[in-house]
Amino acid sequence: MRRLYLILLLALAPAQAWAGDLVMIVRDTAGKPLPNAVVTVHPAGGVPKGPIRFAWPLTVAQQNVQFDPFVLVAPVGAAVSFPNRDKVQHHVYSFSAGNKFELKLFGKDETRSVTFKAVGVAAIGCNIHDQMVGFVKVVDTPFAVKTGADGTATLRGIPAGTATVRVWHPYLRAPKNELTRTAAVPASGPVRDAVSVEIRAPAGHRH
Amino acid sequence: MRSFTSLRGRLTVLYAGLFGAALLFTAIAVFFSVGGEARRQVQSELTAGGAVFDRLWSLKADQLAEGARVLSRDFGFREALASGDAPTVESALDNLRGRLALDRAFIVGADGSITGAADVDPAAVEKLWYALDGGATSGVLRLNDSAYQAVAEPIMAPQLIGWVVFAERLTEAEMASLESLASIPLTATVMTQAQGQPWRSTDAGAVDPDLAQLIDAARTDSKPLALDTAQGESLTLAKPLAAMGEGDRAVLVLRYPLKLAMAPYRALMLTLALVGLAGLGVLVFGSWLLARSITRPVAALDEAARRLRDGEDAQVSVATRDEIGRLAESFNAMASGIREREGRITAMALTDQETGLPNRRALEAALAQADPAGLYVAAIGVDRFLQLRAALGYRLAGEVLRQLALRANALSPDAVCARVSSERLTLMLRARTLEAALVDLAELVAALSQPVRIDDQTIDVGLSAGLAAVLDDHPVPAVERAGIGLDQARAARRPVAAFDAAAYGDPASKLSLMSEMLRGLENGELAMVYQPKHDTRAGAVTGAEALVRWSHPVRGFISPDLFVGLAEETGHIRALTRWTLEQALRDQAALRLAGHDLTVSVNLSGRMLGEPDFAAEAIGMIAAADGRICLEITETAVIDHPETAHDIIDRFRAAGIAISIDDYGSGLSSLAYLKQIRADELKIDKEFILTLDRSARDALLVKSTVDLAHSLGLKIVAEGVETAESLAILTGMGCDLAQGYFIARPMPLTGIVDFLDQARLVEAPKSPAAKRA
Repeated sequence: MRRLYLILLLALAPAQAWAGDLVMIVRDTAGKPLPNAVVTVHPAGGVPKGPIRFAWPLTVAQQNVQFDPFVLVAPVGAAVSFPNRDKVQHHVYSFSAGNKFELKLFGKDETRSVTFKAVGVAAIGCNIHDQMVGFVKVVDTPFAVKTGADGTATLRGIPAGTATVRVWHPYLRAPKNELTRTAAVPASGPVRDAVSVEIRAPAGHRH
Repeated sequence: MRSFTSLRGRLTVLYAGLFGAALLFTAIAVFFSVGGEARRQVQSELTAGGAVFDRLWSLKADQLAEGARVLSRDFGFREALASGDAPTVESALDNLRGRLALDRAFIVGADGSITGAADVDPAAVEKLWYALDGGATSGVLRLNDSAYQAVAEPIMAPQLIGWVVFAERLTEAEMASLESLASIPLTATVMTQAQGQPWRSTDAGAVDPDLAQLIDAARTDSKPLALDTAQGESLTLAKPLAAMGEGDRAVLVLRYPLKLAMAPYRALMLTLALVGLAGLGVLVFGSWLLARSITRPVAALDEAARRLRDGEDAQVSVATRDEIGRLAESFNAMASGIREREGRITAMALTDQETGLPNRRALEAALAQADPAGLYVAAIGVDRFLQLRAALGYRLAGEVLRQLALRANALSPDAVCARVSSERLTLMLRARTLEAALVDLAELVAALSQPVRIDDQTIDVGLSAGLAAVLDDHPVPAVERAGIGLDQARAARRPVAAFDAAAYGDPASKLSLMSEMLRGLENGELAMVYQPKHDTRAGAVTGAEALVRWSHPVRGFISPDLFVGLAEETGHIRALTRWTLEQALRDQAALRLAGHDLTVSVNLSGRMLGEPDFAAEAIGMIAAADGRICLEITETAVIDHPETAHDIIDRFRAAGIAISIDDYGSGLSSLAYLKQIRADELKIDKEFILTLDRSARDALLVKSTVDLAHSLGLKIVAEGVETAESLAILTGMGCDLAQGYFIARPMPLTGIVDFLDQARLVEAPKSPAAKRA
């Protein structure tokens, strides 16, 4: 119904419009808004050339024996800093393919950075503190954002036309923890979409 | 079942039965409580064993998990695994297998891959993956038909990339070591069941369906349950275990045979049973003894009562002072009383009350007991006892008999001397022959015949005796025969006579003779004959005496003396007389037709003079036939009712019937008789006539009788006239009529007609005597 509406919108919209917005609402199967889900959009016409910049700092801090943020969306090839704000030392690592790294035992207020060269997911852990889990979602599109506490991700300035929309969450129960959809992006104005995903928190993890 | 009819048997069975039942109930109670106790013990042991197993199991699991955890946390290992460095991973697993002595150590990847266990069936890997994915961390794992205790540790890098699985094979030895930890020798088996598959034991063997059912039941209720197996009932506890395989189930089965549980109690039970049996035996014996001690006096009483019933002497020895003892005393008193009274009654029954002598019954009892060979019975009678008794009185007459009996007893002490009737003593004699017995008896009678002294009076006694042999084929008892012998002796006027069966005749046959006579009267066996009577003055036959003759079809001619006398004695004379009278009247009519008018004399028993009915009937008959009849009254019988007799005679005479006195001069005839009976004629007994021609004395008697009769207005008839001389003498004496063989023998009707015809032809007016002269 909504798609029909969008198509109707597209048909009625002026041809000179260049870009539109996507508002994606992610809920779990219980209907609760799901934060930390990463929504990426790849327009059918390809992503714009040039370096990708995001509005948020590319930092994964260790604070209160947790990674903060839990999920960081980072452009491919970007350097992500890992400041330690705890009094204890951490041994941060990732065995994820293409983005393997190991930051051995660094102490308080010590910052190290890692360059993520491969598009994908780098699962980050601490060899000392098992409960510390974090994820760096390495993307190759500027149209990427994670949902907030209200489960909503808003992406602006997407070129009109069809686009591939992916919703990823570390505990989403699907291959590669990802859902793929297609969206028709209007020439101007927002298009809204909503997905309901099955979440399975692993034992021993507090997220 | 005989024992149940005796008090002793019943008491014994009752006591033994009660005790046996109590014992049985006790045994059952003990058996069940012991059995229940053993069962409870085994149950608690099994539960305890299950708890121990739980501890061991989790200890082992913890041990395994510890190792697995170490590995799963190892940074290098995780790195190698995450980076797909399989050789490193496998070498690490090998290293650990050796170091920790593990049967199995492998990695299941989060993607379902397996590392370190290439031999495992992919389907099993998939099941395992699902179990691990479902959060299984510990449990029974079945791989390639072997059961393992397995633990799994997730490998986080930092998110889950797989599981380390360590597994120890559940071998028999493993189970045995578990079994050895229990305090009872239980059997432990781990069983597994894949989804939709039957249960399998540790060594992959099939599981008994009953056990499988029990395992299913145990999954909801983990209490030990009884299970029947080929080795007997066993208590079985099935504890569910976690299974490391999607849809798999595992269970630990602890078993303990009840037989083993009961074994310690078996000796106790056996002892109890033996004690019980011994107790039962003692009780049976004891109650038998007790019952016997109770019932022996009762049985003695029972036996004594039976003896008493049979008339024997019955006394019970009294041994106790209890109720039975008192009963026995009472019984003894009662038995003595009964015996005493019985003795008195018997004595009375066997004693003549007047003299105290034994009576006929006593004699017969003695006879019945004595050897009959050579045994004789003698009846000794006191002659003229009635007169003696009339003179002395009953008491003294009895005393005479008593004295005689005492005398007889003194003379022959063995003989029972009984008083069988008022005047008779009867005693037993032993002798070789009848003759010898007669001699002995004669001597005895002679010895007894001494005068008896009573109250200073001397009484003369005359004795007669009869003798009869006990062994004699005669229907009459010996005692009676001896009495008849006595009668016969008296009749023969001899002091001693043996019973003469021939003379006695047969009373029974006499009675039957009378019934035959009555039949003979109808059948014409009896006939009349007539003996002519010669009128001495007219010199012609003017009458005839009708005499009855009986020709019996079987016995032939029967003497009138026999059957007429018998008819008189038995009352059949009336029928005979009527028939005779009828016949005589008929024959008289026939004679009259033949031209001979005779007076027919018919014998009439003196008894008939006592019957007015008969007299009326006879008068009627004679009048109807217009008969000329003379009734000859035989004087054999005593005339009982003289007045009636006179009346009847008067009526006969009034009816024109002549009355004659028969057989005058012998028997009972006397002058008084002549006075009593107003007869028309007198018939002198032939005893006087037969010797008339030879005896002057008889002639004088006859002459005086003729004169007497004529003086009284009677005609005189002489019987037994056999010679011409006699007839002549009688004619001379004035005798009116003569009858006898000289004149004619008795003859039938036809004969007398011929006789009369001839006599008329020869010389009617002449008398036979005149002709002869």
